[in-house]
Amino acid sequence: MKQMTEAQLTELEQDLNAIRNDVLADLGERDARYIHRVVRLHRTLEVGGRVLMPFGFIPPVFVAATVALGLSKIIENMEIGHNVMHGQYDWMNDPSLHSQTYEWDTACSSESWRRTHNYEHHTYTNIIGKDRDYGYAVLRLSDDDPWRPRHSLQFINYVLLSTFFQWGVGLHELETERLHRREISLKSKLPFLKEFFRKGGRQAFKDYVFFPLLTFPVAPIVLAGNIGANLIRNLWSSTVIFCGHFTQDAETFTEEECWGDGKSESKGHWYLRQLSGSSNFTGSRWVHLLSGHLSFQVEHHVFPDLPAHRYPEISERVKAVCDKHGIHYNTGSFARQYGTVLKRIAAFSLPDRLRARLPASEVGQAT
Amino acid sequence: MLARQNHTSPLQWLGRQLFNRDDAVAFFDPLLERINPMWVQEYTPARVQRIIRDTADTQTFVLKPARRWQGFAAGQHVNICVEIDGVRHQRTFSLSSSTTLWHEQGLVTLTIKRLPGGRVTNWLQDQLNTGAVVGISEAFGDFLIPEPVPPILFIAGGSGITPILSQLKTMAAQGFRAPMTLLYFVQDHSHAIAREHLMDLAARHDLLTVKIVTTQGSSEPRYLTDADLSTITDLSSREIFLCGPQGLMALAGELLDARGVSRDKIHSTYFSAPQTDLSSQNLGGKVRFARSNLEVDSTGDAPLLEIAEAAGLTPQHGCRMGICHQCSCRKTSGTVVNRLTGQASGPGEDTIQLCISVPQGPVSLNI
Repeated sequence: MKQMTEAQLTELEQDLNAIRNDVLADLGERDARYIHRVVRLHRTLEVGGRVLMPFGFIPPVFVAATVALGLSKIIENMEIGHNVMHGQYDWMNDPSLHSQTYEWDTACSSESWRRTHNYEHHTYTNIIGKDRDYGYAVLRLSDDDPWRPRHSLQFINYVLLSTFFQWGVGLHELETERLHRREISLKSKLPFLKEFFRKGGRQAFKDYVFFPLLTFPVAPIVLAGNIGANLIRNLWSSTVIFCGHFTQDAETFTEEECWGDGKSESKGHWYLRQLSGSSNFTGSRWVHLLSGHLSFQVEHHVFPDLPAHRYPEISERVKAVCDKHGIHYNTGSFARQYGTVLKRIAAFSLPDRLRARLPASEVGQAT
Repeated sequence: MLARQNHTSPLQWLGRQLFNRDDAVAFFDPLLERINPMWVQEYTPARVQRIIRDTADTQTFVLKPARRWQGFAAGQHVNICVEIDGVRHQRTFSLSSSTTLWHEQGLVTLTIKRLPGGRVTNWLQDQLNTGAVVGISEAFGDFLIPEPVPPILFIAGGSGITPILSQLKTMAAQGFRAPMTLLYFVQDHSHAIAREHLMDLAARHDLLTVKIVTTQGSSEPRYLTDADLSTITDLSSREIFLCGPQGLMALAGELLDARGVSRDKIHSTYFSAPQTDLSSQNLGGKVRFARSNLEVDSTGDAPLLEIAEAAGLTPQHGCRMGICHQCSCRKTSGTVVNRLTGQASGPGEDTIQLCISVPQGPVSLNI
């Protein structure tokens, strides 16, 4: 990470705060209209997908219904749920779009998500040992983590995690790695498990039992379409999320760097860490919408509670602040960024001795 | 506050499974609203049928609530919900129409005066047009005429006339059964709301006496005096109904007290919240944690999260720096100042972040 003096960090903080304050002062009608439009699009896709699905015995209808339902889940999870739970729309004072009451269409309960994601991940972003989103305790993605034989098969784990992503996210708070190391007891996780089975069960009931049974004669078609829609959502959301922090130039941090000498981290340093640890990818308006604007992961991490559709318009200013302070603004095409993620997963499945022999461009990690 | 109660619990259970929300029908609101805003389920909608100008700064809005609205008793108020610049605002207003108008035509009226600097009252007057739809809560309040109807003295000031208008119109429709006197204090005759209507009622009903007093007519302001009370026949047998500005209410209380009128004969209702002095950043105040049934005093710029923790509560929280919204909760009344922006909130119900909100005067929280 770039080394900056306290004075420079304070200046960085002020520069970013200025952008934030400008957006806050301008929040209003436009943002409300945007999120209402997205919610309407979601309802249209979900209702359309569910109504069409029983007619899936006609192949093109099956594809249309599955894609519509998949897109509806993607939009609901990424652009509505994730962003609403960050409090991006709390100012609207609309109980249907409120961070503390919103429940999203995925196995993970909103409450668990707000703890593991909003608090842990966004506060301790990319600090090895503190940010459990870094590799999800399944993947080894930096040499801060010593190599173990099980890591050699981690590419398979990655594919499995992506396929069943909603269940992986749902069980994230179980902290299996700490259970395994006997740092915590299973008993302490019982309330969480109860919540997981309640919410996860609800999701499975809806997609895999209720709607198929409701249309009994064509139950297998509806079941297959619903599985397909969930799969589309799982693969896309895990891909987008992996591009956020595991690209080649996204940096990792140590606790020592952030809280050395027992000091608490300054807001300026927190900003620096968010800028250095996150990565964007470019794309069309639709790519940004479907990624919940996590294609602007850098902007999202410095301003997690600003309405996400504002990220494209402030990205120029954020980039200018990065340039001014000599901080790398990590962006690239989707293919390039995702390519470096795959390389990183593959490279770190190798023991350090072998990995050292790879050319730097194949390692997927900044030197 | 406007949300409707749904008592069908098996359906409610199914709704939660399918749509991840307690008010499952409201899931379709974004689509229903496009077709007909009166079909919205999350709150009870009411359409503006007509707008009548009463005085230079007062208008009467004739509303037609959706059929499921449950009606009201004369003297009650409702919360009205409107969206202004993307933000939902709720304010309480007294209904000013007779219950007969509701029973016969399904209409109610709100008579609303501009408050200087008031965001909602000014918006209603300038922006709300015929045909628009607003949210309306069920009626509440206990400013009610007892049965059998006793002789009554009404003392009203300014727009405090509204609940009394409803009561007089309702009684007029059913025929007066006891002597009624109204003492109505207004700045000057141009500020008297429904003046002609009141005079007309008094002319048609012998039991009703209306006296409109202008306070700003001469060089000395003319307020309520003991002489006004001495003109009321058998004051001791009357119930007293008071509604007006705080000054008038306090004065009436004192004068009635001096005449030995017992407190339990005096019914009163406020029509505006006490104003907070925003110019002095006098921070701190009494904080009430409603759900914990706890009240503590705070001084200086301690944020509510610290105040709650010092009081032994453990509200949900995360970053303690205004980022993660883990600590967002409902404020039911009172003003708080945002530590980051220095901005003061409104006095009404609102969502706030505990970790960056500093009380300014008494505050009540739903934790």
